[in-house]
Amino acid sequence: MRVLSRYGVPALIYVFLTAMVIFALFPAFFVVQAAFRPGQSLYSLTLSLWPDHPTLDNFTYIWTKIPFPLWLRNSLGISVGTMVAGLIGSATGAYALSRFRFAGKQMTLILLLAIQAFPSVLALIPIYLILKTVGLVGSPFGLVLAYMSVALVFCTWNLKGYFDTIPRELDEAALIDGCTVTQAFWRIILPLSVPALAVTALLMFLTAWNEWVMASVLLLDENTYTVPVGLYGLQNDYRVPWGYFAASSLIVSVPVMALFLGLQRYFRSGLTVGGVKG
Amino acid sequence: MYRVRALTTIAYLSPMIVGVGLISLYPIAYNVFISVTNQNLFHFRRYSFVGLANYQSLLKTLDADFFIVLARTFLFVAICIPLFLGLGLLAALALNHPAIRFKAFWRVALIVPWAVPSYITALVWKFFFNGEFGTFNQLYRLVAGPQAGLPWLTDPNWAFGSIVLANLWMSYPFFMVVILGALQSIPSELYEAAAIDGAAAWSKFRRITVPLLRPAILPATVLSAILTFNTLNTAFLITAGGPFTSAAKPGATELVMVYAFREAFQLFNFGYIAAFAVVIFAMLFAVTLGSLRFTGLVREEAR
Repeated sequence: MRVLSRYGVPALIYVFLTAMVIFALFPAFFVVQAAFRPGQSLYSLTLSLWPDHPTLDNFTYIWTKIPFPLWLRNSLGISVGTMVAGLIGSATGAYALSRFRFAGKQMTLILLLAIQAFPSVLALIPIYLILKTVGLVGSPFGLVLAYMSVALVFCTWNLKGYFDTIPRELDEAALIDGCTVTQAFWRIILPLSVPALAVTALLMFLTAWNEWVMASVLLLDENTYTVPVGLYGLQNDYRVPWGYFAASSLIVSVPVMALFLGLQRYFRSGLTVGGVKG
Repeated sequence: MYRVRALTTIAYLSPMIVGVGLISLYPIAYNVFISVTNQNLFHFRRYSFVGLANYQSLLKTLDADFFIVLARTFLFVAICIPLFLGLGLLAALALNHPAIRFKAFWRVALIVPWAVPSYITALVWKFFFNGEFGTFNQLYRLVAGPQAGLPWLTDPNWAFGSIVLANLWMSYPFFMVVILGALQSIPSELYEAAAIDGAAAWSKFRRITVPLLRPAILPATVLSAILTFNTLNTAFLITAGGPFTSAAKPGATELVMVYAFREAFQLFNFGYIAAFAVVIFAMLFAVTLGSLRFTGLVREEAR
């Protein structure tokens, strides 16, 4: 019995972990091998785990023959725009909600909560109709506005939650010493919140970078596509090698996955992240 | 908490309030407005008020689309959550076992699915499930012969199971991370004391681990249930809601958000789907508020 728990249990756990790692990593492995696979060779009835003649053709193709570099640039612009506007728009409000005493605060918090409970797919319906009326369907600016409808509320919650953890004595002491509220915000709260600001910003960036639904409805022209919309079009037709999609997927997801995996130690709690990864 | 001049409060709040008001709140109000009109593809600009007709057609009979889609989504959540939780718990317990070496490696490898953008997850699994070229049927043919194939996405029940599988892959790491964090915060003295008292492994798990994990698992489960209820990418991108057995009925994997997306942006029934959105939102908001009371998902907001 003692031998079993000394060696048997760990051995079983290793078997389980190995099986889990195969389950977890197989799709990633599959995309990598597909990216290096030439032409149509993936469309085969028999299993082949590694291409016989690996090639970089897929990468060359997507980089030179389709507007993939342009999609990358669009995605970058839209994600950075959402991130910056989300932070700037929410930081002072989050501070007020964390520190000020005012009438209607409870109401504001419940309202924010209600908005967060409104699923973005459902919100997309009126947003689409409104943007259509003002002629912004098809424009990247309209898409940033749509993303902001999620970003502002998310950033406000997240930052308020972090500001709440900063001891009140710090800024209250500063106020007693004659600091203005604005000085307390700029000189005490913001510098102490740099990690939270960075994590919130990156989560916002990732959300916009990985968003398909809104972008697929609000962008109409191939030249304004973000990466997810462009990639969707690359995999829907069996005349097009799936390798193009695989190669593009690698290029867009490896950096953000590295970012996510590197950052996950800093997530205050998994809950904050779980709420935003769509 | 301090009092500041009203003007300061307004100045600090206004960017957020104006922004949220214009781009979050106004669309929601506008959605309620559309829900009492007949706006659709044929009445896009010249729509008229129809009162509560959309709500009536939504809820008129028990076999209306609304109830079919809702029941199916509840079933989906009810199947998914125990699987996510179970696999996440097993993985966390394995990673937390004192005899396991190279923990950092195992941990990062097992979190990878969480880091993959969900639309890519969906499109890759869609390829796995493909009847001819899909990896699963390629594997199946190795054992069952060259003509064989499983109906991963073509049979209604199989398609539903396939969606569950893809979501399991994507979602267990969240539970694993939450539970692992909670496991690591359990003081080892508790287990040592129990060992001295002669407790067996199972009773240590039952009496120490499970009760101390509960505060972490409960809010994570509520949050994950809401996110799973809202599944769109990993259903729509894999099956587009299908397979469809009848033109008049929702497809076998048409979850709530898939249905909303299709009705709005493929069939353009704006008025009808806006009413649908109002009802779904009312349910989700009730769940959110209710869960706050008993899980502390967002703590001390009432203060």
